[in-house]
Amino acid sequence: MGSPVNRHRNILDFALSSLIRRKTKNISLFLVYTAVVFALASLIFFVHALKREASLILKGAPDMVVQKMVAGRQDLVPASFAGKIGAIRGVSVVTPRLWGYYYDPAFGSNYTVMASGDGTVPKDGVVIGSGVARDQRVRPGDLMAFRTYNNEPLLLTVKRVMPYESELVASDLVLMSNRDFKTMFDMPDGYATDLAVSVANPDETGTVAAKIAGQFPGSRPIMKSEILRTYENIFDWRGGMMVVMLGAAVLSFIIFAWDKATGLSAEERKEIGILKSIGWETADVLYLKFWEGAAISLSAFLTGVALAYVHVFFFSAALFGHALKGWSVLYPDFRLVPAIDAYQLAVLFFLSVLPYTAATIFPAWLAATADPDEAMRS
Amino acid sequence: MIELTNVTKSFNSGRPNQFTAVRDVSLVIEPGRVTVLKGPSGSGKTTLLSLIGCMARPSSGRIRLRGVRAPFLPDGAEGPGFDVSGLPERFLTSIRRETFGFIFQQFNLVKGITVIENVMLPAYPTGEGRTSARDRVLGLLDMFGIARHAASRVEHLSGGELQRTAIARALVNNPAAIIADEPTAHLDSALSIEFMDIVGRLKSEGKTVIIASHDPLVYGSGLADRVVEMRDGLVTDTGDTE
Amino acid sequence: MTLHPAVLALLASSLTVSAMVLYAGWYGMAVRAKWDINSGSEVQVGLERRTYLVSTILGYALVFQLLSLFLFIYTADDLHKLFTGAMCAAGTLNVNGFGYPVLILKVVNFILAGVWLIINHVDTRGYDYPLIRVKYALLGLLAPLVLLETLLMFGFFSGLRPDVITSCCGSLFSSDRPGIAGDLASLPYTIVRPVFFASIAATTVSGLLFYLKGRGAYLFSAVSGTTFLVASASLVSFICLYYYELPTHHCPFCILQGEYGHAGYALYASLLAGAVSGAGVGALAPFRDRASLKAVISGVQRRLAVVAVVMYLLFTALVSYRMLVSSFRLGGD
Repeated sequence: MGSPVNRHRNILDFALSSLIRRKTKNISLFLVYTAVVFALASLIFFVHALKREASLILKGAPDMVVQKMVAGRQDLVPASFAGKIGAIRGVSVVTPRLWGYYYDPAFGSNYTVMASGDGTVPKDGVVIGSGVARDQRVRPGDLMAFRTYNNEPLLLTVKRVMPYESELVASDLVLMSNRDFKTMFDMPDGYATDLAVSVANPDETGTVAAKIAGQFPGSRPIMKSEILRTYENIFDWRGGMMVVMLGAAVLSFIIFAWDKATGLSAEERKEIGILKSIGWETADVLYLKFWEGAAISLSAFLTGVALAYVHVFFFSAALFGHALKGWSVLYPDFRLVPAIDAYQLAVLFFLSVLPYTAATIFPAWLAATADPDEAMRS
Repeated sequence: MIELTNVTKSFNSGRPNQFTAVRDVSLVIEPGRVTVLKGPSGSGKTTLLSLIGCMARPSSGRIRLRGVRAPFLPDGAEGPGFDVSGLPERFLTSIRRETFGFIFQQFNLVKGITVIENVMLPAYPTGEGRTSARDRVLGLLDMFGIARHAASRVEHLSGGELQRTAIARALVNNPAAIIADEPTAHLDSALSIEFMDIVGRLKSEGKTVIIASHDPLVYGSGLADRVVEMRDGLVTDTGDTE
Repeated sequence: MTLHPAVLALLASSLTVSAMVLYAGWYGMAVRAKWDINSGSEVQVGLERRTYLVSTILGYALVFQLLSLFLFIYTADDLHKLFTGAMCAAGTLNVNGFGYPVLILKVVNFILAGVWLIINHVDTRGYDYPLIRVKYALLGLLAPLVLLETLLMFGFFSGLRPDVITSCCGSLFSSDRPGIAGDLASLPYTIVRPVFFASIAATTVSGLLFYLKGRGAYLFSAVSGTTFLVASASLVSFICLYYYELPTHHCPFCILQGEYGHAGYALYASLLAGAVSGAGVGALAPFRDRASLKAVISGVQRRLAVVAVVMYLLFTALVSYRMLVSSFRLGGD
């Protein structure tokens, strides 16, 4: 008696040769399988990479943002709050922020305009995000025309365009000096859009938020963790929606796989009959079918994953990125950082290889339990 | 070596197309002899062969094997023999693989793979190492003069070469018995005589040979120690010479 | 309910495995009713064919169960960001009353399926399918448990509503919280540590005795099972502290995370392997006298005993190494 390792090696050898002998059938199966893995993998990688980007970006965001609400809508925050909030135990820095939205009718796009509180942007100058630069086709040194709240023109010189790496965060950003900001928006002195609050101990954020909400009725503290959670949820939800839609594709794939597996040609049936008649038992034929399935699954999985990797990280998921990023005129144009891990591959495995394997168990068994003495009669 | 007692094999029992291929057959196949099953088609020869060769289980009756070593049975079982009728497929197949070599009417070689692979196939599930199996197979091919075709696909072989490949395959696991179903049906007289020569060689090596055939060249040849006649699933003449 | 792709994957696979096992159980019933090894009738041959299907299904089901056990924990971990107060899988599992039952049931089903496969393996070595009835009786137990697990898992995931406040593992596994998690954590290490090492020693000794003398299978199996429980409790009580280097962090799931080198996988894998092998030794013991198995069964049992002992010793080696190199020391050690 030989070793089980040799037995499997022999059977694997025969499995590979029989896959090659039925090229048409197996190539069509391989292509469909790869397409399914590709679609699922692109989706999973993309969603995961977006989530990762979002959380990395939010790392730089303030621990908490405090807004003032009047009649359920956001109103300007009195700058005096900043001092009082700063006095709360646990708060390290409070920065009033001046920012708002500007709609440019000529280009049909919305920009986020922000006053750079620290004086980095000189008067009459503006620092813009790369999306804005692309939109208006401007470069450092060019003039940009804005309209103030009372329709007066305001011309500002582009000092700098923010680098490509900041796309996701600052694509639609327009930074100007405090003075210019006030000119643009008729913002009264002593008020801010909101307050950015840093907390010394991140675990205390919830407690501090509760204190602020208690001391300043009408204020709404929004914690970074809440923002993160909401983004996670949205991406999960959107990703899940697409998975559900892809579920239809996976289901058709399973039916296709089942069909291929049960639809053995007369040639294939005869071959199994021959194997059983010359001394292969049912278990050996089952192992044969197992190795065939494993070979196809492995190659389709690897190919699908590789293609999806290229699709997502080199072509930014051109095929369905829009559905996940949301609708907008101004798209941040960014390259996602490649980030795949074993967990994503495991989920992918469960959504593709597992159903395929489950679908082929029964047909494989049916083929393997054929009667050997039928071969005697052919 | 093989003892059949009141063996019956029916198909589709309980259904309107129920059909009994072999009826109440009792037969003893002696080791080292050539036994020929003679009878027209539909007489149940093929079914009887598959029962003798442990390829099918009888619907009723008992089949015993003597002089065959089975690793899962206690030592000393070879003498009195053991009953194979109730063995699960796994054990039956492992016995069959080591004890019987089959030659089919249509040769039943796998198309699309080479001669050497075809001949090695019965050895795959035994877990034997590829090198030792390969060496033995090449030796067999050499013995039958077809070593030069080792790497050719079976589609490119002539009738005689196919026959010898089929025989080589039947011998790959060094079985004690060879079973052949209508081996000369698709051969001309010259090749049929060649086949009987090979049978003679196997007999002189001590192998048991069981052939089903209605070809006079086979049952009329001097090599046949015993001719069993069958008709409609019954043995009409056991050919016992004693 | 969150539509996280991993959640969908887990639910889909759980449904698939349930369907497979139920199908297998259904045919198992037919087998138990009509089995007659000595008959050569077509019905019997058909039944023997069916058993191949059942064992193939269960082989795959076991692999899927093992993978989905780890995927489940990892997903619970991944989802923790959606729930305030949850810092890791422990928090997610605590969001509703289904979380921990699902986990426990998954472990139980994995062990049962493993034992089934061991019995099946031995059954195939006997020339008259000696354990066929036993196998299908066990399957009759396993199938409803798998179905229950799927139902509970659906309940768990559909009851996951993000933003629900839950306790993070810090407060869940801290000593002053009532409930089994808290109780495990509050066991003083002066008791648990010696009990842990004693049970490992007992397993090794009884395993050795069984290996050499061939007697005491039930004893070994019982000791092995106890060791599994003791080791799991020890993990929560004091072993994980060495990985986190914090006296209050008793969570059993955080050691699966990347920041601790995924050490948890090796630990849990070795414990589960030990549990299945040890249980297998005991499960086979009643059948030692079946004629067709005499030659086979004690060999299989011995091998299983070796595997079980080696796995527990591996676990011990890994945690001991950690206890020695870690800069953490249990109170006044």
